[in-house]
Amino acid sequence: MPDAPLLDVRDLKKYFPLSRKPFGERQEVRAVDGISFTLGRGETIGIVGESGCGKSTAAKAILRLIEPTAGQVLLDGVDVTALSRAQFRPYRKRVQIVFQDPYASLNPRMRAGAIIGEPLRNFGVGAAERSGRVEKLFDRVGLHRDSMRKYAHEFSGGQQQRLGIARALALEPGLIVCDEPVSALDVSIQAQIINLLIDLQKELGISYVFVAHDLAVVQHISDRVAVMYLGRLVETGDGDRLFGQPLHPYTRALLSAVPKTTSTGERRRIVLKGDVPSPISPPSGCHFHPRCPDATERCRRQAPELRDVGESYQVACWLHAA
Amino acid sequence: MTSNAARDPIAGIDSRDPIIQIDDLKVWFANRDGILRAVDGLSFDLQREETLGLVGESGCGKSVTAMTMLQLIPSPPSVIAGGSIRYNGADLLQFDEKRMRTIRGNEISMIFQDPMTSLNPVLTVGEQIAETAVLHRKLDRRAARELVVEMLHKVNIPEPQRRADEYPHQFSGGMRQRAMIAAALVCNPKVLIADEPTTALDVTIQAQIIELMLDLKREFGTSIIMITHDLGVVAETCARVVVMYAGRKVEEASAGELFAAPLHPYTQGLLSATPRLETAPGTRRADRPRLTEIPGMVPTLKGALKGCCFAPRCHKATAICRESAPTIEDRGNGHIVSCFNCGSA
Repeated sequence: MPDAPLLDVRDLKKYFPLSRKPFGERQEVRAVDGISFTLGRGETIGIVGESGCGKSTAAKAILRLIEPTAGQVLLDGVDVTALSRAQFRPYRKRVQIVFQDPYASLNPRMRAGAIIGEPLRNFGVGAAERSGRVEKLFDRVGLHRDSMRKYAHEFSGGQQQRLGIARALALEPGLIVCDEPVSALDVSIQAQIINLLIDLQKELGISYVFVAHDLAVVQHISDRVAVMYLGRLVETGDGDRLFGQPLHPYTRALLSAVPKTTSTGERRRIVLKGDVPSPISPPSGCHFHPRCPDATERCRRQAPELRDVGESYQVACWLHAA
Repeated sequence: MTSNAARDPIAGIDSRDPIIQIDDLKVWFANRDGILRAVDGLSFDLQREETLGLVGESGCGKSVTAMTMLQLIPSPPSVIAGGSIRYNGADLLQFDEKRMRTIRGNEISMIFQDPMTSLNPVLTVGEQIAETAVLHRKLDRRAARELVVEMLHKVNIPEPQRRADEYPHQFSGGMRQRAMIAAALVCNPKVLIADEPTTALDVTIQAQIIELMLDLKREFGTSIIMITHDLGVVAETCARVVVMYAGRKVEEASAGELFAAPLHPYTQGLLSATPRLETAPGTRRADRPRLTEIPGMVPTLKGALKGCCFAPRCHKATAICRESAPTIEDRGNGHIVSCFNCGSA
């Protein structure tokens, strides 16, 4: 299917069961509660939200690193959630992941060259070809070829993340899911990794699902942005529009809460009351209503659906229900 | 401690003098591989009722400086290789443990980055807040309890009566940080050291905590040292900023001036390496400049550094930068920079 988007996520859900008390009601955490979005080739979608909003769970469910409870993930038009593990295997080549903690995601007992070569070996690339490709990958992410014999702990944090990126690139995937790839790094190193990701995209046409809590980083790297709150998408669309004229009260509060180095004098910060509620017993209606400055009676009763409010721009809020 | 002045550091102190004066502080760590110079000749002052930002990347020595102020780093392995930390004129580094205990939590308090690991999981939040007050103010249980409830109320924790009897795990992250702020401020300290107080928090909670700290500062007149790597937090809370790199101060200026016209190549690099959130309508991602990278990495602090600590990563570095360390120069208006090549003001 040539005109199908590279990635099409439809009503993806992931519920985690909680241990059941005797005679108690069955409870579950609705970590991801029906999210949908599409992603084209060479495009980046940023998924933002606070801790516990389900953004990392969504990222892992897309790769089936955790099995989704319901919904579909279509890669090039093929629903991969319906495939058996063996049938899914060829699709693993197309979707790779870069994790938050670079050190924890590298095997401490393997040499760097072997770590990068492992995905190639798994997919039957012979030793001779493999070493050549590993060398090229080292060059590509800006690591010395001499360091192939080192172990993960001998690299700095930024270099470890370069290794993580090289490993994700090894199978020449069309899509890389980046789960907070720079949040463990210092600012000066963070800039190096962000620039590397942008360069790789330009050169190789890769798409990214970029999960992060740092809004400035997401703005810098994403074409489109999806804002999550308690397992649901509240606003999604073109990044320039979302950051410039956010519609959902949560997006507005989130953007206004970020401290800025350019702020001059009076700033209108929307300070939200209270904490993010527990996803075990989320509020009725719109999940955001207890903290929303604009909540009405309707918000308490009925959850708003994600609606189109312009060209591929959607928001889930009764204020913007036409 | 016999003299009255020693027991009461406030007596005979000029209120225009800085409350904290750090002068040429050197904190080294000795291990098998040699000496690690975590803080290497750091000097700065904290004025009364001022909020001073201490910024820099991991390993630049900002937390070590803070911990040294309260003698919280065990020695060995740490060695104070020189310098002084004067609090109201008296050098804290000369205080013995007994005298230090009259300072900690009472005169100078600290809040830490991770509220879960710095609160005791087997004591109630109320007990932990009361501990400081009982120790320093000799309050009885009833008075301490009243004070705890009052403090929890001040840091905006709902139902303080009930919450005081709960344990830290029953609190959310933001509430734990509030409880820690309550514990730090219960004795109305003159100086509050906040070590990355909002780093572990989500941005909407961070906004609440920053707002709270600024309110309490106005109410209590506390002087604050704000340690953070987040330049945005500094810009919003601090009047003056000290930028550290590899254990040394590279630049110091008022927050407005530092962000508008940074002089040191490291500060400039740090600012242009940080992506900025643009929320003005009509901003276009396509117009954003590429982030500036600071090449290389922070140097290992082993052994004595020759020349300027930033020279190996600096695009302006010349021969002299690699030979000798630049001195600290005042370029007017209290804008201090340590660099050979920043031009003169």
